[in-house]
Amino acid sequence: MSMGECQVNTETKGFQPKIVAFLCNWCSYAGADLAGVGRFQYPATIRTIRVPCSGRINPLYILKAMANGADGVLISGCHPGDCHYMSGNYVARRKFALIDSLLKHVGLEEGRVSFSWVSAAEGVRFAEVVKGVTERVTALGPNNGVFKVEDGGGTNE
Amino acid sequence: MKISKEKFGQAFDALVAEYQIIAPVITDGDVNYKAVKSFSEVKQNYLNSKLPPKSFLFPQHEKLLSYKKEGKDVTVKNELKVEKTILFGIRPCDAKSMLLLDKVFKNDEYRDPYYYERRDNSIIIGIACNKIAPTCFCSSMGISPASSKGSDIFLVDLGNSYHVEIITEKGKALTAGLQELAELTAEEQALVNTIKSAETPSKVDVSTITAKLDKMFDHPYWDTLHEKCLSCNACSFSCPTCHCFDISEEVHKNEGSRVRTWDGCMAPLFTLHGSGHNPRDKKKARWRQRMLHKFNYFVHNNGDIACVGCGRCIKSCPVNMDIRQAIDGVNKAELVVD
Amino acid sequence: MNSIIDDIRKTARQLLTEGKVDVVIGYEKGSLPLKATPCFVRSPQDVDKLIWDQTCENNLAAFVAKTLGKKAIIAKGCDSRALMVLIQENQVVRDDLYIIGVSCQGVIDQRKIEAETGEIIGASITDEKISVQGMECDKEYSFTDVKDVTCQTCRYPNPVLEDVHIGGSIEVPEQATLFADVIDMENKSDNERKAYFKEQMSKCIRCYACRNVCPLCYCQECFVDCNSPKWLTGGVDSAENLLFQTGRALHLAGRCVECGACSRACPQGVDIRALSRKVNKDVKEMYNHESGLTEEVKPALNVYSTDDPEAFLVKE
Repeated sequence: MSMGECQVNTETKGFQPKIVAFLCNWCSYAGADLAGVGRFQYPATIRTIRVPCSGRINPLYILKAMANGADGVLISGCHPGDCHYMSGNYVARRKFALIDSLLKHVGLEEGRVSFSWVSAAEGVRFAEVVKGVTERVTALGPNNGVFKVEDGGGTNE
Repeated sequence: MKISKEKFGQAFDALVAEYQIIAPVITDGDVNYKAVKSFSEVKQNYLNSKLPPKSFLFPQHEKLLSYKKEGKDVTVKNELKVEKTILFGIRPCDAKSMLLLDKVFKNDEYRDPYYYERRDNSIIIGIACNKIAPTCFCSSMGISPASSKGSDIFLVDLGNSYHVEIITEKGKALTAGLQELAELTAEEQALVNTIKSAETPSKVDVSTITAKLDKMFDHPYWDTLHEKCLSCNACSFSCPTCHCFDISEEVHKNEGSRVRTWDGCMAPLFTLHGSGHNPRDKKKARWRQRMLHKFNYFVHNNGDIACVGCGRCIKSCPVNMDIRQAIDGVNKAELVVD
Repeated sequence: MNSIIDDIRKTARQLLTEGKVDVVIGYEKGSLPLKATPCFVRSPQDVDKLIWDQTCENNLAAFVAKTLGKKAIIAKGCDSRALMVLIQENQVVRDDLYIIGVSCQGVIDQRKIEAETGEIIGASITDEKISVQGMECDKEYSFTDVKDVTCQTCRYPNPVLEDVHIGGSIEVPEQATLFADVIDMENKSDNERKAYFKEQMSKCIRCYACRNVCPLCYCQECFVDCNSPKWLTGGVDSAENLLFQTGRALHLAGRCVECGACSRACPQGVDIRALSRKVNKDVKEMYNHESGLTEEVKPALNVYSTDDPEAFLVKE
């Protein structure tokens, strides 16, 4: 794979989204690491935050990321049944379902907030997930949505 | 002197070019003060606004200044934006409340530019209350439903016209161009007299409350007054005289701003210190504070009771805490002789 | 109604005289027409203050954790569910509570009345009729016309947990579609919903009456008060307000008992229920759970199943 091939088509919008990615330490973060080691290219749009487990995710993280100007949020954990802490992702699964549904209900565009289960062995798949998420967020355009604080407050990174 | 509403509307619309005009507007059944572009948008014949107009002098959330660090340089920018403003349709209670806010923000010792710049650039067109709500008790608070205290120009709604009184020099300057004033008929004068002599049916006795409260800090009355209070800030935020605020820094990397927001003494964490100590972590202490501040401390410090009898706190409280009942309770409380 | 009031007072008098409880938490007549207010009765002489009618709109369960000693509490259906959840979450000791259960017909929506009559000067309730004298006009209503929107679709008017029951039970008619109001909202377009919530949130003044009146919002440090991390800046634009309301609705996921106290408490008339109703519908559909019905069934987010739905996953 050459560098050029894997760039997401941002020609139409001309902007690079900033996507905050919460990755669980044991599976998804390791999967992302494997993607790096294996040189499986994916767009440099995600800013990774490593959490011990997807069960650690507080719904406020997602809301605050949107408020601060993130164009998208990705949350990724271990496959159900494979959680390092046995049941963290089971608990998270219920939370995520409710968060996803409520965010859509208040008018947040579908595709801004995404959830996935990526294991430590799925380096290629992680790259695919990030590509897919980036494509969808790019198509939606910059975050000007329901949670963005109008006063500004995001970083200029 | 009177002016027809039609002529008044024309003069009003002409002023829109020069002034930001804030007037009562009805949205979704609730009347609140908003910027308007024409007299036709102004709501007439209503009791009083849901929220007081104090946010036009003292906004709920305002940026005081912003700063940016670039290398070794720091630039600071004053974020105060002031426009020449007319506040139209202000009731006697709300007009009086601005005089009370002046004592806090614009006095000999301390002048808050974010308040007084707005205050000095505002002209208050007050209006008498033709209808008095059962929750109004302004007659007990040193004013009346037709008091012109605090207004620069004072109107009485006569139906098709307004009776106009110029109260201050500021008001005089604004009406200098008005040519279309006419004399009142006898009937209209009688109506004005009726409106001006009206009193709120609901009354409380505050003649001795300050002196009484001087002796009541440890009184058992406070033990039960607070019980049903939920410690929200519905009363403080609806009150035209409440003025507590919090200042915080909103910083992101190398830039940020200093922001002032309303705060309320009813909230449990209002008095939380940096050390972790909270002198008013009990509801009892907070309700005592509310009564003492309004009816005792403010009198001692500023010479007036910090309540104008608008009744908004009574209407907005989810558990029907009634400040009139609290005043009665204080009056009836038996002082324990030491 | 009258015999219910007498029985409540009799029960309260007995409990206080026998020293079984230190305080009876109930309702007394408020200072405004058509408004009841919570009251704390500590001596048998005062029990005649207690009332019971369609103005008893507060959820008294909000007071139990903060009231010391043994307490009796008048509980409607929704209030008793809140007490159940509080007991499950170890906020209240069951033995400290004496629950006086009363089946509830529903409460009055004063805002609906005031929209027509103007501010209410006086009112009286007889049987199912409510006569109102208002600043704009006088009007007579039948109770069903002005029933609070939560009560119109209430399925649990009978207390689920009680030590004594006063009055009869209320039969709940079968509802063709549950959560019809949420389905209506779901059927709107994304933009319509976005505009609706933006409009509602622009009314919010962040007084937190909704949070404080809720019996299940009892955190010592609420996320709104947290300084590190700082979730909310104190600004009152609709985006921040939506963050607060959505955050609160998610914190109540699987716990909200739909008493409607939040919407009634709001001084600005924000449609707060719209969010929690959606979450409750999801919890019912995905996990077949309704909070506070039995002590054995734990709150929905405290448990999990290996085959919970996961429609939210990315397609990759």
